[in-house]
Amino acid sequence: MSFFDKLFGRKTSAETAKQRLRFVLVHDRAEIPPGVLALIKDDIIAVISRRVNIDRDHVEVNVTHEDTESKLLVDIPLIPNINNTQTGRVSGTPARRKPGS
Amino acid sequence: MEGTVVTITSGKGGVGKTTTTANIGAALAMLGKKVIVIDGDIGLRNLDIVMGLENRIVYDVVDYLEGRCRLRQALIRDKRAPELYLLPTAQTRDKSAVSPEQMVQVCDELRAEADFMLIDSPAGIEQGFQNALAPANKVLVVTNPEVSSVRDADRVIGLVESKEKGPAHLVINRLVAARVKKQEMLSTQDIMDVLSTDIIGIVPEDESILSSTNRGMPVAFNGASPAASAFRDIARRLCGEDVPLVEPKSPSWWQKLFGRAE
Repeated sequence: MSFFDKLFGRKTSAETAKQRLRFVLVHDRAEIPPGVLALIKDDIIAVISRRVNIDRDHVEVNVTHEDTESKLLVDIPLIPNINNTQTGRVSGTPARRKPGS
Repeated sequence: MEGTVVTITSGKGGVGKTTTTANIGAALAMLGKKVIVIDGDIGLRNLDIVMGLENRIVYDVVDYLEGRCRLRQALIRDKRAPELYLLPTAQTRDKSAVSPEQMVQVCDELRAEADFMLIDSPAGIEQGFQNALAPANKVLVVTNPEVSSVRDADRVIGLVESKEKGPAHLVINRLVAARVKKQEMLSTQDIMDVLSTDIIGIVPEDESILSSTNRGMPVAFNGASPAASAFRDIARRLCGEDVPLVEPKSPSWWQKLFGRAE
């Protein structure tokens, strides 16, 4: 790693290698190629938005891996419907389901 | 005696499975264990030439399985250690010449006679790998500190676990401490973080490996090089000894100047 790389805060190649491995292994282990996740996301948005208002731009679909268990974590921010008092949520920020909860 | 079958595998080719098998075999035998090293790579055998026993092959495991010899006749005794034997495989056949059940049968027959049977698995995850995995009591997965072999190691570790042969033990081979220090190479910790597997040994890159392979003389017989002592440590760990893992260090300027002492 050169002096300039350090100066400009560029990542070392070992760091990059580790990061790339982490990413690729999550997909290898789950047997879900990265492109399929994007398709799943579109499907979920289509299904959920038929019933409730969701913040489509901030839907996240990820695979996490802990020990031998893989999980598909889906984070769908809801957009509260201000006119609808029956839902009980009438104001405040969109309800965000925390990952893992 | 009820010997342990240790399968050495990797997924990716060229990471040092055969060198690792030959050297751990030599190291175990030098510790006084009765060891049989088994070449699992039908059609591309190399354990014989790495160990320097290529000129002594008469029969191989396929000859035994097809009834042309007794198992004992196929074993080649390595005279450099008290009790070290090589069971060669066939060079002119393919993977389908042996089934996983037959590998189990061969190892069961040898179990009563040896402390350790080390199987040098072929690269890949096809039948040759399945054959090598079937009789295993313990599996060592060899990787280099480099993205493609670490990725393949992860895949193999998963397969080993799915066959209920886990947990696999990782051998990090050809680590260059100086490059790790410069952060040009994945460190032991990086690999541990990514694979979350138990590490059974870290073998430093070592010039003496090439020349010892040229001569058919595994370094672990009597070599004093860093790789030789790393292989000896792995052998002692396989025997159940608690040997602390040593992270290879880059040589200091005076070691470079005077040649490495260790």
